Amino acid sequence: MSAEKLTTLEDAAALVRDGDTVAIQNMATQAAPMALVRELIRQGRRELGVVCLVGGIPVDWLAAAGAINRLIGAAVSMEQFGLCQRYRKAVEAGAIRVEELSETALNARLGAGARNLPFLPTRGLIGTDLIDVNDNLVMLDDPFGGPSVVACKALVPDVALVHAHKADRFGNIGYEPTALWPDLGIMPKAATTVIVTVEEIVDSEVLRADPDRTVLPGFMVDAVVEAPFGAHPTSFYPRYGYDTAMHLEWIGSARDDEAVAGFMEKYVTGPADHAAYLEAVGGSERLAAVEAWEAS
Amino acid sequence: MSDWQNSPPAEDWTIDELMIARLAACFADGDQACNGMASFVPVSAFWLARLTHAPDLVWLAGAVGLEPRPDRVPASTLEAPLWRDSIMYVEQYGDFWTIALNGRWLTKFCVGSAQLDRYGNGNNSIIGADYHAPRVRLPGTAGLGDMGSIGKALYYWNPNHNPRSLVEQVDFISCAGYLGGGTERADAGLEGGPELVITNLCVMDFHPETRHMQVASLHPGVTFEQVQEATGFELPTPEGQLSTTAIPTVEQVRLIREVIDPDDMRRREFGG
Repeated sequence: MSAEKLTTLEDAAALVRDGDTVAIQNMATQAAPMALVRELIRQGRRELGVVCLVGGIPVDWLAAAGAINRLIGAAVSMEQFGLCQRYRKAVEAGAIRVEELSETALNARLGAGARNLPFLPTRGLIGTDLIDVNDNLVMLDDPFGGPSVVACKALVPDVALVHAHKADRFGNIGYEPTALWPDLGIMPKAATTVIVTVEEIVDSEVLRADPDRTVLPGFMVDAVVEAPFGAHPTSFYPRYGYDTAMHLEWIGSARDDEAVAGFMEKYVTGPADHAAYLEAVGGSERLAAVEAWEAS
Repeated sequence: MSDWQNSPPAEDWTIDELMIARLAACFADGDQACNGMASFVPVSAFWLARLTHAPDLVWLAGAVGLEPRPDRVPASTLEAPLWRDSIMYVEQYGDFWTIALNGRWLTKFCVGSAQLDRYGNGNNSIIGADYHAPRVRLPGTAGLGDMGSIGKALYYWNPNHNPRSLVEQVDFISCAGYLGGGTERADAGLEGGPELVITNLCVMDFHPETRHMQVASLHPGVTFEQVQEATGFELPTPEGQLSTTAIPTVEQVRLIREVIDPDDMRRREFGG
């Protein structure tokens, strides 16, 4: 008998404490566990550190809410929607400290954390200024006589937040055919606590029919929550695309403090729960539009 | 397959199409190419090469989708519509970086950089003197901090050639070029390095010994003085007559406009 992992968004988000380092699945406008991010903001979490490969709107909303004071990642950008202005403003004001890593260096830090190693090396970053400004990166002689490498210190996030297509009640996580990024490949394996939202909770038999699509085993997962459209307004293929209109509404607000406050109240802190959020963004009509991404 | 070989120079070409055709010429059958975010010029160039001189150029769309069949260039070069109908999704942590780091594959890489200096160092990190208190926080190095250091031939594209983007020295090196010039890159144990810089005014390469950026060809109608005016450092005075960048052909222009990018996404990169 496996342990039950199914819980509510409120209880799952409560596993994250003030000050935690939180790894967030995200790739610019893709696949972010937005329902969890909104719940963390609603619960008033403070002094969080974010780990991300390429952070987009979740980083900007967390920065707007004053919830984060550090970021470890390779980039922060919403691609066609531009730089994350609230994040950028907070960094420039000294309110968020950035540990910028190349992709291989981030992967190495997380890989070492996942495998209980003190560090893993990379050949990336050599010659850049990113090594000198970072105590977690050290040039290292090859003990076998080859060229030097960069030792990347192990990173163990307190929590990893993941969004997936399916899970059973026991936290076995199933993924449908789509791009696979390191935030799924390595982040949850490095983190102490793993919280997963899914589009739908299914019977274990559904996962057993396609075991090669199970990407995380239940014993690695601490909490699983059903949150349909839980990545909105980011994309989550093959189910739905990113919400262009909502990203545009955000960047139209992001440079103005009052407009940001209004946006956050309307979409993030105002709606009482995830269902209320989906209504606030336009309900079934809006959601049907993002589901039609193949026509884009 | 179109009759691209016998196509005459276009008369109504635009600068984006010229840059795409020039970049496409850098990629050949047997190469593999990948693209990152907001990369309309490289994506269009790979696609154009595949439709003309390099049908067997392998394309890893978004560093994710192998041999995709997108409908057209979409609004994002890092979302699923670009890697529609891929033959394989390359998992990024285990597979993509293994392929990139191995050395046998993906030997060329296209780089967009907020700042680029005379020795081909790129900066997408910060503007200002202090990394921890930047005047401007840029998006971050992403994969460039790797690609600059792992032996790739780097092809910079810059649709907005101006003294703010082409600078004497970058504020911060987030993509390793020839570092301080001369043998510095090789002395640091790094292979490969910047190959070409394709801008909206000219094509530049790097002197084989000093590794200083220099004009290789001027786009039609552009003078060396105009390029110098738009560049934040002194360019070496050309010896003799500079060549003119090839004008895209009628067929190349047709393919870009009608097949590859009918929504003109590539033009979003210009005028910034």
